[in-house]
Amino acid sequence: MENEKVINLIQKISIDRDEKAFSEIFDFIAPKINAYYIKSDLDFDQAEELTQEVLSTIWSKAYLFDPQKSKLITWSFTIARNKKIDFYRKNKKNITDEQDIRDFMYENNKANDYEIEHTIDKISQELDENQQKLIKMSFFEQKSHKKIAEELEIPIGTVKSRIRSTLNKMQKFLK
Amino acid sequence: MNSTAQKNELIFGYSGGNLNEAKSLFVSMYLHLNSLAAKKASIFENILADNLNDINEIRPQNLKYTDCIKYPSSSKTILSKSKNPLSNIIGDLQKITWKSVYKGFKEYNLPFNGKDSVKLIKMDPGTSVPLHSHNGKEYILVLEGSFCDEYGEYNKGDMQINDQKTKHNPTACKNDGCICLSISENDVVFFGKFGSILNLFTFIKSFFK
Repeated sequence: MENEKVINLIQKISIDRDEKAFSEIFDFIAPKINAYYIKSDLDFDQAEELTQEVLSTIWSKAYLFDPQKSKLITWSFTIARNKKIDFYRKNKKNITDEQDIRDFMYENNKANDYEIEHTIDKISQELDENQQKLIKMSFFEQKSHKKIAEELEIPIGTVKSRIRSTLNKMQKFLK
Repeated sequence: MNSTAQKNELIFGYSGGNLNEAKSLFVSMYLHLNSLAAKKASIFENILADNLNDINEIRPQNLKYTDCIKYPSSSKTILSKSKNPLSNIIGDLQKITWKSVYKGFKEYNLPFNGKDSVKLIKMDPGTSVPLHSHNGKEYILVLEGSFCDEYGEYNKGDMQINDQKTKHNPTACKNDGCICLSISENDVVFFGKFGSILNLFTFIKSFFK
């Protein structure tokens, strides 16, 4: 979906509470978020339950989304990740509210969109396919080093050192 | 591994959602006070989120958009703009009840689950901590004021990571002292004249945790 269209739909949701606009955003985002949860080893019911929470948040907090700060996909990803953190910590007594803190961080984020995009382009040119895959498995799918080692059929020590060297490579651009 | 790499690893862990609650709070304070760190977190979140663009989509079977509109939104307390992630837990930093450890050095323990010990440290101007190292890693974030040690000067929003190899002797800035947030993965090991007494003290203290 074109970025301009996304921004337009979100505005309709936040200002006019337009349900039709929300149905389009739902069709665009929900299958991605649901797949993200299933990829993260949640079962189908849990994945749909969390997807519902994410999309409800997008509906109710659309006013928080700022296209100057991030793309809708990034905002949705951070909501989805936070719901996953809350889900895993649900049975423990928490003293912080991760969601609140991250909403706050988002609202107060002063990062410049253009500069960020430029850096991301450079990083993705620099990392080869295997390195991108490792970052994806470790931080996006949140697989343990042990699990990554099993799936890629390489020793766990190699997984650790490769992740570390990939992060080191990335940090050249993070100045 | 150099210290910048360790800091970045923490930021990446936070962006990916891989950190425990204590470290997560620690990093959120770091991002709150340090705009360069916040920028890095933003970049990494964008990189991770980009994976959603080419993910093999799986349509939810039993979920319609109308279910999300009707769903009760979680009405949590929203942090006000003037507050920071830490004051959400402890309130006003100026009003907490400090526990005095020795002259000029005070602590405030934060009740987190897990093996990491999380505390606030307040050092009066010019106060120093005797030369020590750490069994595990120690993360220190300056919230107010500044301190310096053998490795340099640390101001508001700066982070220091110490491990077994680091022996240091931090001293709070002479003008306004400092308040730091600290996470220790294990106890501190002291050296020097009073080292054995301080080590005995931390050993005894470990029974009361």
